[in-house]
Amino acid sequence: MTPHSDITHITVVQGEARPLVDAAEEPQVMTFPHLVVRELIAFLALSIFLVTLSLVWDAPLEELANPSVAPNPAKAPWYFLGLQELLHYYAPFISGVLLPGVVIGALAVIPYFDINLERKPLWDGTHTRLKLAGIWGSVVALTALFYFTAAHPVWPIIGPLWATAIPMSLPVFGRRSLPFWIFLWFLLCAIALTVIGVFFRGPGWEYTLPWRDGIYT
Amino acid sequence: MNRVFRSIVRHGFPDTNRNRSLAVFTNFFLHIHPVKARLRAIRLTQTWYLGGLSAATFFILTVTGILLMFYYHPSVPRAYEDMKDLEFVVSAGVFLRNLHRWSAHMMVALVLLHMIRVFFAGAYRPPREFNWVIGVMLLLGTVLLSYTGYLLPWDQLAFWAVTVGTNMADAVPVIGGDIKFLMLGGNGVNENALLRFYVLHCVVLPAALLVGIAVHVWRVRKDGGIYLKKPESNE
Amino acid sequence: MALIDDLAEATPQLELDRRKALGLLGSGALALAGLGTSIVGVQYLWPNVLFEEDKRYKIGRPEDIPVGQVVVLPREKIYLVHLNEGFAAITAVCTHLGCMTRYESEERRFFCPCHGSVYDLEGNVTGGPAPKKLPRFQVVVDKGVLMIDASKVMDPDFVLKV
Repeated sequence: MTPHSDITHITVVQGEARPLVDAAEEPQVMTFPHLVVRELIAFLALSIFLVTLSLVWDAPLEELANPSVAPNPAKAPWYFLGLQELLHYYAPFISGVLLPGVVIGALAVIPYFDINLERKPLWDGTHTRLKLAGIWGSVVALTALFYFTAAHPVWPIIGPLWATAIPMSLPVFGRRSLPFWIFLWFLLCAIALTVIGVFFRGPGWEYTLPWRDGIYT
Repeated sequence: MNRVFRSIVRHGFPDTNRNRSLAVFTNFFLHIHPVKARLRAIRLTQTWYLGGLSAATFFILTVTGILLMFYYHPSVPRAYEDMKDLEFVVSAGVFLRNLHRWSAHMMVALVLLHMIRVFFAGAYRPPREFNWVIGVMLLLGTVLLSYTGYLLPWDQLAFWAVTVGTNMADAVPVIGGDIKFLMLGGNGVNENALLRFYVLHCVVLPAALLVGIAVHVWRVRKDGGIYLKKPESNE
Repeated sequence: MALIDDLAEATPQLELDRRKALGLLGSGALALAGLGTSIVGVQYLWPNVLFEEDKRYKIGRPEDIPVGQVVVLPREKIYLVHLNEGFAAITAVCTHLGCMTRYESEERRFFCPCHGSVYDLEGNVTGGPAPKKLPRFQVVVDKGVLMIDASKVMDPDFVLKV
């Protein structure tokens, strides 16, 4: 070994951001058979459900595609009806590109912007009025934006906005992170738009009542 | 005979914990699992098995989809005639088509529910943040698979849903018209569009989704299994 | 077997510079090749020949169509409207999301069943989410017969005076 007494090596070891399974704390079982059997049962239950459904209910097939006659109403499958309902309020660029793009972008960046209100709750006594003013200022601004820019007032977005903002400003529920509230808002909007699109829209995309006129497909 | 069996399965009967470990450890299909699992993690009420069942529907869709391909021609109007053949002529054709269609609906629903559960459990937080992003991409892939598959029967429902969808691409500023032209391989929803959607639906998107699922599951393992709240804390 | 640890050996500065230059050259070449491949890929997927139908349609003699009449051409997806100012060939494709509108003769309007857009007979939006009025195609009289060229979109007020 050659002595290098005049050189000091400093190695910086960064802690790996990976959780260790603390085996000591948790009760554990052998994967085989306990987990494998559960998986098998879950898969079989799903298969039985889908096979039964397929035996009793035929998939829809309409007449041959005809480019000169649009059916009335022309409805997409259920998971697109929220989007189709949104298309009723805005020009295609806004409801077909901008809003879905913002939602998907927001979903993707959620874990990177976890503004944790849990550690600094809204109701921790500091700047409470300022925070409340900020939240409700944004809510009113968003409400005005969605009310005045659309062809019809977008209640399926404004309603969930208020339904989210009210519990958010209450001391009991307010101890949640901001992404939680944004996600809840998106979720409620998606449910509201989809339910309206599936059950409450008929010919000409006019409102119908499903218990009176049936469900249009 | 025993020698042949031992060449395939190299461990003894799983009545000891050692052999049970080997049953998981030395099996290609089970090696995505650890040898031992936390009891809380495998409870039905913890996850409702939504991720696993999403993968299960993908498996059912692959099998039924391949079977349907034996009777399907992606051309106009043959595609629609093949639907009628499946319905009235092919043995169990209508059943396979139903199973494929309802499994597709089921897959979209399961993937959405999986995402909602993962979010409210807080499992998207570091260090799992990139796996959440992969999950969002898998959701997009699932929806695109449904969308491309929707055109293939070439009936009125298919034609108009896809017309509306491609006109949304048209609304993208500047390059929207070009995107639409490239997607459809022409100016309208016609035979070229059917062939393109068919290739995307049967080859490109399933292959991409399979790779995505593999990475997604692998990362769950690497991050120490599924996320569980700390037992003592009341977060 | 001993590991030959190349990381433990000191590297001369010249060698490091050379590696950096070669690395830049290599990644640059890779990026260029990737760009070229993408361009060729898009070109391959871009159809150069389309077997779509001719967009020029002969309709009829202008004197057979009185003022105020709407000639519905479902296959061609065009309304030929004889307005007071002249003939206008208005597309039947909704400007919202490309559904086929229908002519409702009692209300004298065009109506889109997909999302409920409404247009008057000049193609102006009178209701629903449609972002702009229905575009018009070129109309000419060719040997005494009205001919529409649907590949040529004219300005929104284009009419043919006869």
